[in-house]
Amino acid sequence: MAEPAYTVASDSETTGEEKSSSTFAEIAIGIDIGTSQCSIAVWNGSQVELLKNTRNQKLMRSYVTFKDGVPSGGVSSQLLHEHEMLSGAAIFNMKRLIGRVDTDPVVHASKSLPFLVQTLDIGVRPFIAALVNNVWRSTSPEEVLAIFLVELKAMAEVQLKRPIRNVVLTIPVSFSRFQLTRIERACAMAGLHVLRLMPEPTAVALLYAQQQQQTAHDNMGSGSEKIALIFNMGAGYCDVAVTATAGGVSQIKALAGSAVGGEDLLQNMMHHLLPDAESLFLDRGINEIKSMGLLRVATQDAIHKLSFQHSVQIDVDLGTGSKISKVVDRGEFEDVNRKVFEKCESLITQCLHDAKVQIEDVGDVILVGGCSNIPKIKNLVLNVCKRDELYKGMNPLEAAVCGAALEGAVASGLSDPFGNLDLLTIQATPLAIGIRADGNNFVPIIPRNTTMPARRELLFTTVHDNQTQALIFVYEGEGKTVEENHLLGYFKITGITPAPKGVPEINVCMDIDASNALRVFAGVLQPGSHLPAIPFMEVRMPTVDDGHGWCAEALHRAHGSSLDLVTVQKKI
Amino acid sequence: MRSHGLTMSGSDSRFFSFPVKPVNKSIPDPNHNVLFFPAHHHRPIIFTTTTTRDSIGTVRVKATVNDGFVFSEAAELSFYELLGIPEWGSLVDIKQAYKQLARKYHPDVSPPGRVEEYTQRFIRVQEAYETLSDPRRRALYDRDMAKGIHLAFSARKRYQKDEGMEEKSEWKYRWQSQLSELKRRSTNKDMTGNMSWGARMRRRREESYNGL
Repeated sequence: MAEPAYTVASDSETTGEEKSSSTFAEIAIGIDIGTSQCSIAVWNGSQVELLKNTRNQKLMRSYVTFKDGVPSGGVSSQLLHEHEMLSGAAIFNMKRLIGRVDTDPVVHASKSLPFLVQTLDIGVRPFIAALVNNVWRSTSPEEVLAIFLVELKAMAEVQLKRPIRNVVLTIPVSFSRFQLTRIERACAMAGLHVLRLMPEPTAVALLYAQQQQQTAHDNMGSGSEKIALIFNMGAGYCDVAVTATAGGVSQIKALAGSAVGGEDLLQNMMHHLLPDAESLFLDRGINEIKSMGLLRVATQDAIHKLSFQHSVQIDVDLGTGSKISKVVDRGEFEDVNRKVFEKCESLITQCLHDAKVQIEDVGDVILVGGCSNIPKIKNLVLNVCKRDELYKGMNPLEAAVCGAALEGAVASGLSDPFGNLDLLTIQATPLAIGIRADGNNFVPIIPRNTTMPARRELLFTTVHDNQTQALIFVYEGEGKTVEENHLLGYFKITGITPAPKGVPEINVCMDIDASNALRVFAGVLQPGSHLPAIPFMEVRMPTVDDGHGWCAEALHRAHGSSLDLVTVQKKI
Repeated sequence: MRSHGLTMSGSDSRFFSFPVKPVNKSIPDPNHNVLFFPAHHHRPIIFTTTTTRDSIGTVRVKATVNDGFVFSEAAELSFYELLGIPEWGSLVDIKQAYKQLARKYHPDVSPPGRVEEYTQRFIRVQEAYETLSDPRRRALYDRDMAKGIHLAFSARKRYQKDEGMEEKSEWKYRWQSQLSELKRRSTNKDMTGNMSWGARMRRRREESYNGL
């Protein structure tokens, strides 16, 4: 049993195309890996069905414990006592950590988790380890996710009595393309092939489209367009989508998302209860981890209770001599987390603005995710949307996985005699993609919320006389400067005909195809000729691996601005 | 064909039946009958081209192939024709037509092996929708159309596609031809007539943005 519980199907290439060797269409299953909980669903021939584990749970805790040396996850292992999960041997919240470097604020915020998250602040992946027999056993979010997915896969295979390979996974809106490659890699390690990665609210939107279509059928309605706003907040992320639905088509008008979630509410609350927690837990011995775990469980419990009562009594003995005994009311909780709630509001406002939709035109407001029970969340969504009521047709904890399962069935080419699978999602880019130009600025080429598939191009020129080379740095994000965005890759174009600065024309074209693959083309136009000066470069992105953030910096340092570009229209 | 045309089966008339059309003077021109032999075809294909010119100056080219296969230059279709709606169609009509076409031509519903072609189609439908669903852009488009500005989606240099060409190299081919087109455009910066309408609008927006 020394063998790892997962197989490395492909170590470097995780995005390989599906071999078209399968003889019959296998129905892809939908998986919603949440920061805290996860679920799995499949189209059973007439409807979506959530699979249950041997303990009859539809929602399973997303964690892997390395206790006793054999990793096991929340799908199969006996329900551990909550405290046992916090013994240092269990790793969780991997969705918050995956694909992030140690300078990322989200990684820093994860340092209070009851296992080891060590940062050196140089732009490499953080050191993550579980405490096993008093020794740190290092791991990675990909590995933890893979182990967990292996269990999910096995569970589904037993129940469906067939091998599982194709999956549709839900992902947060704010995930960068680099993070998506990490998810794909974890799936590949688990022997799963990713058919689609769906932003969570778009999965909910698909379920909504199906429900609307059914209603339209029942009422013999015209099936006219209906706008819905979807607000999804889980433990790790908060996402918003505006969708226009008609005739089974869900057209995503805009997406907005951020890494704020229940975990932030919990941490702010823990900090409120024990302001000097950081210094207390600095030394991560077994006792500190245990105290951290105790505080975490007590706070979590209190927050849950505050959803249904106005105040709660917290009594917890942290063991190390410190004891907390406090009454906390809802107002206090809301006050401590004011910034989180403000962020939620701004995401809704931004999404509506980007969708060019007036709040009055929104037909339904859908609230889903683990935080949907929190009264403040409910109120703020209703307030911003100027509503009295939320959409009632969905289970807030199951909507995303149901949508993923629907997409799995549709993408597998299934049809349904009752038209329940006559569905389509028209996706939009959640983040802008562009290059570094005009100094250290991020110049978007494909703007945020562009309908996919898409192709856009922009002209650039040199900044120095007789500049013959240029570096193309591809970034993704919303920041004005490149540092605020995610680096996807970089490459050099050469062979620019020597000319005064501002004369050469460098065309950078970006293409997102139907399978969401991003390709970047860069070519130099020969002065006075119809032909490109040199064969253009075509690079599939992302190309960066972990920790290559600092490579960009090193390149800037080494070359200064000698390989820079500026946009053409701004040179006027 | 993928580069600039929509390939579709003969039974599919969406792009060809323009429900509302001004009275056209149909001028069958014998000179437009082209005969050529694509490398991969063993028999000649005869394109019978009918050029129709309507009141607002758009030029439509309809082509029929002798094996019943219909080929159309989508590049010549106006956004209205692309969506299959009349020029006075309402926003509701536009939205409805867009969703119907998306269900037909989105790459997600493409038959295996035709994803690239469907992608091209969908991108065109998308551009038509984005333009016509925005009242300001639609007004500009209508104005340009009334002026008779060439409404080509892409006035790229035509070239025959070799079907044996693999997807990737075709991409390069197309892109290179795009580059030359861009080059041509940039040498006549004032001659925006050859740009795709969407590109022209984007440039106009950028210019007005930078002018602020």
